[in-house]
Amino acid sequence: MSVAEPLIIEQRSGFTLATIMARKATPMDRLETALGLALPVTPSAKSGKGMTLVATGPGTWLAMGDGSGETTPAALSQRLAGLASVVDQSSGYAIFRLSGRGARTLLQRGAPVDLHPSAFSPGSAAVTLIAHIGVLIWQADHLPTYEVAIFRSLAASFGAWLEAGVAAL
Amino acid sequence: MSRLTSGGLVDRDKPLSFRFDGRAYEGFGGDTLASALIANDVRLVGRSFKYHRPRGILTAGAEEPNALVTLRSGARSEPNTKATTVELFDGLEASSQNRWPNLRFDLLSINQLGGPLLASGFYYKTFMWPAAFWEKLYEPLIRRAAGLGKLAALPDPDSYDRDHGFCDLLVIGGGPAGLVAALSAGRAGLRVILVDEDHRLGGRLLAERRWINDLAGHMWAEQIAAELAQMPNVRVLTRTSVFGVYDGCEYGAIERISDHLATPDAGQPRQRYWKIVAKKALLASGAIERPLVFGGNDRPGAMMASAVSTYINRFAVAPGKRAAIFTCSDSGWETAKDMIAAGIELVAVIDPRDRVPPEGVSLASAGVRVIRGSVVDAIGASLRAIDVVSTEGHRVRIAVDLLAMGGGWNPAIGLGGNLGAQPIWCEAVQSFVMGEAPPHFAPIGAAAGRYGLRVALTDGATSAGEAIEALGGRATAQPVWATDDEPCRIGAFWHVSAHRGKAFVDFQHDVTDADVTLAAREGYRSVEHLKRYTTLGMATDQGKVGQLNGHALMAEATGRTIAQVGTIRSRPPYFPVAIAAFAGHHRDEHFRPERRTAGHDWAAERGATFVDAGQWKRAQWFALPGEQDWRETVNREVAATRHGVGVCDVSTLGKIEVHGPDAGALLDRLYINSFSSLAVGKARYGVMLREDGIVMDDGTVTRLADEHFYVTTTTANAASVMQHIDYARQVLWPELDVQAVSVTEHWSTCAVAGPRSRALLKALFSECDFSNEALPFMGAATIGWRGAVARIFRVSFSGELAYEVSVPALLGDALLRALIEVGEAFSVVPYGTEALSVMRIEKGHPAGNELNGQTTAADLGMARMMSKKKDFIGRAMAMRPGLTDPARPALIGLAPVDPAILLRAGAHLLGRGAAPIAANDQGYVTSAAWSPTLGHSIALGLLRHGPDRHGEIIIVHDPVRGADVEAVVCHPVFVDPEGSRVRG
Repeated sequence: MSVAEPLIIEQRSGFTLATIMARKATPMDRLETALGLALPVTPSAKSGKGMTLVATGPGTWLAMGDGSGETTPAALSQRLAGLASVVDQSSGYAIFRLSGRGARTLLQRGAPVDLHPSAFSPGSAAVTLIAHIGVLIWQADHLPTYEVAIFRSLAASFGAWLEAGVAAL
Repeated sequence: MSRLTSGGLVDRDKPLSFRFDGRAYEGFGGDTLASALIANDVRLVGRSFKYHRPRGILTAGAEEPNALVTLRSGARSEPNTKATTVELFDGLEASSQNRWPNLRFDLLSINQLGGPLLASGFYYKTFMWPAAFWEKLYEPLIRRAAGLGKLAALPDPDSYDRDHGFCDLLVIGGGPAGLVAALSAGRAGLRVILVDEDHRLGGRLLAERRWINDLAGHMWAEQIAAELAQMPNVRVLTRTSVFGVYDGCEYGAIERISDHLATPDAGQPRQRYWKIVAKKALLASGAIERPLVFGGNDRPGAMMASAVSTYINRFAVAPGKRAAIFTCSDSGWETAKDMIAAGIELVAVIDPRDRVPPEGVSLASAGVRVIRGSVVDAIGASLRAIDVVSTEGHRVRIAVDLLAMGGGWNPAIGLGGNLGAQPIWCEAVQSFVMGEAPPHFAPIGAAAGRYGLRVALTDGATSAGEAIEALGGRATAQPVWATDDEPCRIGAFWHVSAHRGKAFVDFQHDVTDADVTLAAREGYRSVEHLKRYTTLGMATDQGKVGQLNGHALMAEATGRTIAQVGTIRSRPPYFPVAIAAFAGHHRDEHFRPERRTAGHDWAAERGATFVDAGQWKRAQWFALPGEQDWRETVNREVAATRHGVGVCDVSTLGKIEVHGPDAGALLDRLYINSFSSLAVGKARYGVMLREDGIVMDDGTVTRLADEHFYVTTTTANAASVMQHIDYARQVLWPELDVQAVSVTEHWSTCAVAGPRSRALLKALFSECDFSNEALPFMGAATIGWRGAVARIFRVSFSGELAYEVSVPALLGDALLRALIEVGEAFSVVPYGTEALSVMRIEKGHPAGNELNGQTTAADLGMARMMSKKKDFIGRAMAMRPGLTDPARPALIGLAPVDPAILLRAGAHLLGRGAAPIAANDQGYVTSAAWSPTLGHSIALGLLRHGPDRHGEIIIVHDPVRGADVEAVVCHPVFVDPEGSRVRG
């Protein structure tokens, strides 16, 4: 079954990022109420209200905001005061969005985790390595569309791998 | 020409031109280089490794030991390529190897005369005297004579790729057993990966004239292949070979994407390295035919019987005109039928066994001589006759140009031993089979020692059924594959003892039967010793064809059974793999990922010379036109910073946010000094120890709020300190309410240092109060800049009035440019890591060279920083007598007595007049630099009782780079020892 949409790779901009780390003894439901969003507790991502929350470890999430006032690190810090520590990471990661025909093949060539639809679907997330570069991957939709977050300083190196990978598709 | 007029699976509508050793030939699509050479009557394809004997094509597969050619030319040339596996393409160029000046007339064939002297292990017994000759004469001579094939020594122009496969069932081999297994599993809905080394599926069915359900074998295979291609849950990888089995059900394989093309298509890799994770795996790799051991069994014209059949049936070429067959296996008799069908004159079939298959009778009546006996010698530089002795002792010479050898079959179980399982002897098939197997891995069909086409088909179905059930699926109804039985008996016959010519066991390494008996005689009786002593099985084919014959001969020579002697496990990779395939994308500038700061492009524009700091690129210095060397540049940068203002990108240092009610408590346990007592808005220098009391890292910690600390680390230890903090809060003290995360990437940081630094920052950040009262030394402030948060820390590594300014990295480039633009009015100078280093040495600040994993806080003059009021990691172990011994080398400064002399790091310190021996070693130089501020070289070092010896003159001993130098021991802070400049 082949994908109709062409391959699009774009480096995201205009987003904010924050690391949210639950404080001890903060019940999950209080965090969820404060955020207005269900929290993923397995390696997965949940979206809503202008934000995507990706679980990256026990009690730890990377919150990607669309830039709106409610979702900035400062706003999140206020909303979660006393419940969780919030750290601005907006300049810390480069995020690449890959979608369409060949997106899965390309990422599978780099990542040693099973990206087949039976194992990885919208909402699935993984912390893994591509080309010796640490990545956080999550699947946004069925197209398929993937988001890949890497340390900003490694963007050029990751781009070089992407270029070689696209040429080989 | 030996091309048969009809038949075969070659594409006669696709003629291809190729060259071998400079001569032009023609072949067809579907040919291998070997089959095309045979079609063109090329019998001689190489010279053997040691004796330079003329060699021809022995097999039709990947086990080929003889027909090693160099494929292509120039940067793409590939030595030791097996002609039997090269898919012919138009314009192919290949040349033979290991001969000079040419294949027909090879001067080094004189080695054959040295035969007895060149027996196994000769190099342990020769080239010993005189000892002086070894390096100058013997070694260079041996190097020139040894080796097989020549590397291109040019950069590889091709690219290599990776991929990852995941499946329920991995089927290794696409012959009849593998095809049925893949089909059954695929129909049951399993995720299947089927791997085959050939470009089309079918395995032995492509080489033999067999029928399945009234379809010719190769057509049946095509039908199955077509059905598999339609299944979305089945992935078929042709031109792909599995090279190793690894822990965790992981399999390594190489897919040859472009090897069969003259050059790869644009963007396409040459080869792709697969890592496959399979819940279950089936080894359907078939079996490899072995030769018999008799005189001249390596002559061009002596070929494996199954290979003869393959060349006839698949490639429609006749490897000879007048043939004999020497076989102890029923399969050799099948070759007789193929020869007769192809019009080759079959003169004799020689079989040493008691009973011959029923074919024997019909052949005899067709005029073929059937002799119960053995071939003792094959004669002719290119085979022209064989000497045969019957079991009754009658001797006869028969003129032939083709001898098909059938010595039995070795199940191709190499992969099965990768995780340690030893093969076991199977008397019924006279070969080794897998005993234990790796987890979730099983051989089927011939690979399991179960020979016969009907058996292969049922094995495939049964094994797939077992896999399906084990994975919780349901097998669909099994079709009935009808095929005829073929006889599969193999006799226990290994060796003809009375022969005249050399009888080869390992063809590629020129190991003969005499070498095996020599090894036994000299005491190398174990198969492992036999291997290393004779080099049997150590060539690029890993003994696939000949190894077992050697083991059988060792059994004979030592009065043991083959079962007792055992065999050698194959080592991964099962076949040679290009190193480039493992490297993949990671070569040249992509060898490892490169980390760039936000200021990188600006620095490059400024003409910075970059240095590697781990994965980071850091600006080392910024040379100006006219500067003669780097020292001139660095001296200028230091002077400009100490007298004016300098700017340095220090973004690579580790940065960690530590939050929570117990943040201060955690930091108290990690550092030797206290941080819970630090006031908000203040920074403090801290040192962390390892558990064993040795210094791990240092940095500054700033308290930005009651429950918010900002920690910095050295560049090198950023990741390990983060791990250390995570380990402490998650494992050691999970009861503490503290959170931490690395923000090294989020922040860009610039050091702004020098007497004019305050003025520069006031000009850039006009709303911020930089007075000494508002922002004192070791204070911090948070301001806004261009819509973002900026943090200003008044800390100094240079010893001057200095600040570190941090902004989010997206504004990092803008910050640098703004500092330089605004700083022009203050003659600002950018400086790099060299100037940074000179200044910190002038100030006696310990850095990586001093924090070298062997020093304690006391060694570095920081004993008083160690709190006595709290416990911290490393406290107890740091009190061990060995670490508190006052005689330990401790931090001092050094200045040369002669100001013109350079001190160098790594030099050792001796008392004056002491002999330069280890017992007199008093320490060593850790860091050294030319100080433009002082006008002479300075150094930091560790010296026994160092702090008590200021003023003493000692010897700096540097045997590697120069003579001994006299130096004065002094306080490690050379510039502004009172520290008044930072506080201004």
